[in-house]
Amino acid sequence: MASSSGNDDDLTIPRAAINKMIKETLPNVRVANDARELVVNCCTEFIHLISSEANEICNKSDKKTISPEHVINALESLGFASYITEVKDVLQECKTVALKRRKASSRLENLGIPEEELLRQQQELFAKARQQQAELAQQEWLQMQQAAQQAQMAAASASTAQQAGSSQDEDEEDDI
Amino acid sequence: MKMSQNTSDKDEQSSSNKKNISLPISRVRLIMKSSPDVSSINQDALFLTTKATELFVQHLALSSFNKGSGKETNSLSYSDLAHTAEETETFHFLTDILPKKILASDYLKSLEQMQDEDADY
Repeated sequence: MASSSGNDDDLTIPRAAINKMIKETLPNVRVANDARELVVNCCTEFIHLISSEANEICNKSDKKTISPEHVINALESLGFASYITEVKDVLQECKTVALKRRKASSRLENLGIPEEELLRQQQELFAKARQQQAELAQQEWLQMQQAAQQAQMAAASASTAQQAGSSQDEDEEDDI
Repeated sequence: MKMSQNTSDKDEQSSSNKKNISLPISRVRLIMKSSPDVSSINQDALFLTTKATELFVQHLALSSFNKGSGKETNSLSYSDLAHTAEETETFHFLTDILPKKILASDYLKSLEQMQDEDADY
């Protein structure tokens, strides 16, 4: 896990991602913990190796930014030429996905609703929701108050009934 | 409503194609930039490096397992990896970061031997 101390050397690929890859590559194999840790560090080492080599190749060309071509040449010169075909395939795949995403977001824009309008609608919905919640809270509060009052009244009438018990009996006799 | 880098990584993973990328691209970029002298990296070059790193992990794990002593017991150990790094030329760059570990018991034995030798004098 990358530490927050700011030390560049602590940057590694997250352990979980490595564990997942190891599991997919060697299913049902027991892999020691220190071996996993080693793989994590080997990854960092590999990335540095490729970056440095690609960077050198880039410097020799008249470009300032490391390009895919530089990386591919780096892989070749470092003995990883066997990776090149699959790596190139993924590049194509990523470009397609990125293209789809751009098309999707432009379709959203073509709905004709500008971002400010969408934001305004969002604010409206939030305000409505807040109001509804406030009303609900107030209702609950009123109900609680009523319940409390009723309880009080019931308690009060119970005690007065006890006191006035004898005089009520006399009244009933008169009605008959 | 801004999409974070992590979201865009996940979007790239969400294509259910086998060829998609599992490692976090943003982390790979950070590691690349921590290499001395590396300034700017093209986005596509970053994808390539990430995928190459994945292939490297698979390659390292498989080689080490196939050549290693754990094949009968279906296990992979630190020393399997260390041995493969020494024996495979393309993995020689790893030997710096993996000192061969020695068992504590072996170390103690060699210590005893040294002490015995001293005692003889």
